[in-house]
Amino acid sequence: MDYLEFAQDVVSRAVERGVEAEAYVNVGQNTSVNVDRGEVEKLSQAGSKGLGVRVVRDGSMGYAYTSDFGTESVEKTIEAAVTLAEVADGDAHRTLPAPRPIPEDDLEVYDQAIVDLPIGRKVEMARRIEKAALRFDERVVLTNRCTLLSQYGTVAVANSKGIAGSYDKSFIGGFVMAMAADENDRSVAFGFDFGSRLADFKPTAVGKDAARKAVGMLGGRPVPTQRASVVYSPMAATSVLGALSRALGADAMQRNRSFLEGKIGETVAADMVTVLDNGRLPGGIATRPFDDEGVPTAATRLIDEGVLQTALHDHYTATRDGTASSTGNANRRSHATMPALDASNFYFQPGQETPEEVIGGVDQGLYVESVMNTASINPVSGDYSISAKGFWIENGELSHPVNEVTIALPLQELLRNVKAVGNDLTFVPMMGALGSPTIRVDGVMIGGLTAEAQ
Amino acid sequence: MLPNESIRRVLEAGLAKGADLAEVYLENKESLSLTLDEGRLEKATQGNDIGGGVRVFYGNNAAYAYTDDLTEASLIEAAGVAAAAGQNANNAQVCADLTKGESPVVSRVERPFEEMSTQEKAGILRQMDDVTRQRSPHIVSVQCGYTETRRRVWVYNSDGVWAEDDRSFLEFQGQVAAQKGEVRQSSGAGVGGQVGLEFFDDRDPVKMMPEAADTALLMLDARPAPAGEMPVVITNGWGGVLFHEACGHCMEADFITKGASAYTGLVCEKVGPDFLTAYDDGTIPGRRGTMRFDDEGAPTNRTVLIENGILKEYMWDLTEARRAGRESTGNGRRQSFRHMPMPRMTNTYIDAGPHDPEEIIGSVKKGLYAKRLGGGQVEIGRGDYVFTVTEGWLIEDGKLTAPVRGATLVGNGPETLRQIDMIGTDMSLDPGRGMCGKGQWARVSVGQPTVRVPKLTVGGTE
Repeated sequence: MDYLEFAQDVVSRAVERGVEAEAYVNVGQNTSVNVDRGEVEKLSQAGSKGLGVRVVRDGSMGYAYTSDFGTESVEKTIEAAVTLAEVADGDAHRTLPAPRPIPEDDLEVYDQAIVDLPIGRKVEMARRIEKAALRFDERVVLTNRCTLLSQYGTVAVANSKGIAGSYDKSFIGGFVMAMAADENDRSVAFGFDFGSRLADFKPTAVGKDAARKAVGMLGGRPVPTQRASVVYSPMAATSVLGALSRALGADAMQRNRSFLEGKIGETVAADMVTVLDNGRLPGGIATRPFDDEGVPTAATRLIDEGVLQTALHDHYTATRDGTASSTGNANRRSHATMPALDASNFYFQPGQETPEEVIGGVDQGLYVESVMNTASINPVSGDYSISAKGFWIENGELSHPVNEVTIALPLQELLRNVKAVGNDLTFVPMMGALGSPTIRVDGVMIGGLTAEAQ
Repeated sequence: MLPNESIRRVLEAGLAKGADLAEVYLENKESLSLTLDEGRLEKATQGNDIGGGVRVFYGNNAAYAYTDDLTEASLIEAAGVAAAAGQNANNAQVCADLTKGESPVVSRVERPFEEMSTQEKAGILRQMDDVTRQRSPHIVSVQCGYTETRRRVWVYNSDGVWAEDDRSFLEFQGQVAAQKGEVRQSSGAGVGGQVGLEFFDDRDPVKMMPEAADTALLMLDARPAPAGEMPVVITNGWGGVLFHEACGHCMEADFITKGASAYTGLVCEKVGPDFLTAYDDGTIPGRRGTMRFDDEGAPTNRTVLIENGILKEYMWDLTEARRAGRESTGNGRRQSFRHMPMPRMTNTYIDAGPHDPEEIIGSVKKGLYAKRLGGGQVEIGRGDYVFTVTEGWLIEDGKLTAPVRGATLVGNGPETLRQIDMIGTDMSLDPGRGMCGKGQWARVSVGQPTVRVPKLTVGGTE
């Protein structure tokens, strides 16, 4: 089946009802392998498909979806979308985008080697993740959820303004939880790696990383409550980026739901802070030639040396803005959701210092290796208070492990208090495709023991 | 969905290579969602998700394949893919006669969603928007949403299990942002349940909005939360999310059988105060976690997790129960036919205790009252958790004196449970918006009375 032709056919059928129409088709193959002590504990493989139909009439939008591509089901889906558009309220800015030329650079989002990878090799990779974790150190007592995931498929988007495009994509990833224990304590940590190319995927590193972190945290303890410098590992630093990407969405700004609203052109961060969104980063997890409403993706400089330059846009927010154009950031979680504004590969631009140099610059402070509850960071208020694990920094070197503490500082201040940026840009694909080097922030409130309790 | 003869042929295809057990899961999910933003009904989405999967067990190992094409031929193909994951020439299981299961749990919708027009549903969102904006000129953003979902499931296995369930969910949610000068604060509220339009007989989503607006407005003038250790009193109802995250997840059997949970091996041990009893109850009428049968065809139960401080039972799905040589507790759940089941909570709560809720607050000299909690997260291995307090109050000399914002609670689940020293008489379940993420999403309910923890780490900025 030619999915682009199918999408175009759906559009032409919908247009007969006097609406603007868009069809989004996503078809894929998924495999997931779970191993436990070398045995394949759970294995799942299947293909799935989905169609989403968006219609607009006089600025009113309706959306319906189905996984059944039969004629009758498609007709019913179009009908449902048209009916819902009649219920929705009109908005003059609500239109579908017109085609723009899509650059033909190779974005490296499809790797035939992933498609051709036999199930036996996938099982073997999952086993390698587990083995690497268990062999790292005798204190690694077990692994859990040791998983290998692979996916490939096709996305096609067509609309009644003439947009018509499709691309293939592939994905491979793995993760594992390692538990370490000694006579006094136990600790767990996750390791993971994801990418678009088979050759870049390193199962052994996934296992080792989980094991190293779990063993390192044994004997962790809270530190006294205090204000101090905090050095964020790349993974921990992305906790800031998730909320920042939402606050930088034009959608949040136009609707008064961003702490950065009204600040374009102003200094919002230390001058060593540059924040980018690049939907065309070769091999990136969120890389694709066009976004989920068919607009070409782009590289956008959002914060340049501390100055807020622009917001992320999709077609609706750009139309509503009047002077902006879409930055290609319309995104869908699946065919069942209509496009919404979201970051692509979103990251802090790396600096010159090595991570060791960044840590070395701190006399007394906290090195944060991992954080929890990043979903609580509030892009409306900028409130930021999360739990952290890591190591205490003593005279520029890591000393004892630290756990059960919180770190807090409003994002407004956090961005201004960045004092060092490392050269080790790393992407963390667990929460989208957020990337950061090691960064140092001063004046962070660390919540831990009270003075009396020490 | 499909005739039983077709199901039998699919199950037999699953057993063909010598598997111990084959299972067929079929699902039909229909949903409608509406979003009102800036006073406009902006987004209206409707859809249907139909599919099925075949799971095959070889000993403790399971293979799964699924399809969104619900024909006998496609399911037999899926059964073949799953069966090919193993081979046991010495095993020749046959499919037992399918016997339709009976469950004491009644899940009957009195008034189906279709009896109200989409326009009328949108009208409720408009009312929610109106009352919120009228609350104060400082309200700068209001977003309201309505979702209805009907999920029908059919489970069959080669041991003769045949279970059907029909679950209808309705939910309203609202998000509010308030602004004064440079300060912005937000707040949210939600209400719902496993219910049809009879929901409106005793509940009104419009009523929750002024309260949500008031929280956002209150937080505009709130001072930053303190940081450090102090006594914390946690609200009843949704406050039970703390027990759900910090302790409940550590009692799910998948982490238990691996030895990966802080509660492994602690059945019959003291894990909390004498006056603490907690349940996971998948049978409570109308709650989000309620099921006639779980997603593996096992009837749900009222499981006593902790009785008078003693750990009694974990929550089991079929996979872990087979591993341990016992019965499932009816906690096998899956997000959709695209997912394999795993042990999950249903409706989980701490039962009423002996203390007067007002006396609990009155007993604290200097501490924090967590009046509204947001979401949280737990690391199951150690039980370390973190929670957001979306509306907090300082307690000084037994009285609530000042609202505080930006507070977070951190601690260790099993440790916190042991420390609880007061439990109120005011047990209540949450208003019906709980969604739990464990790699897969599941609707859940939580609940508890007012609870006091004598010393907990609060993460604030002061």
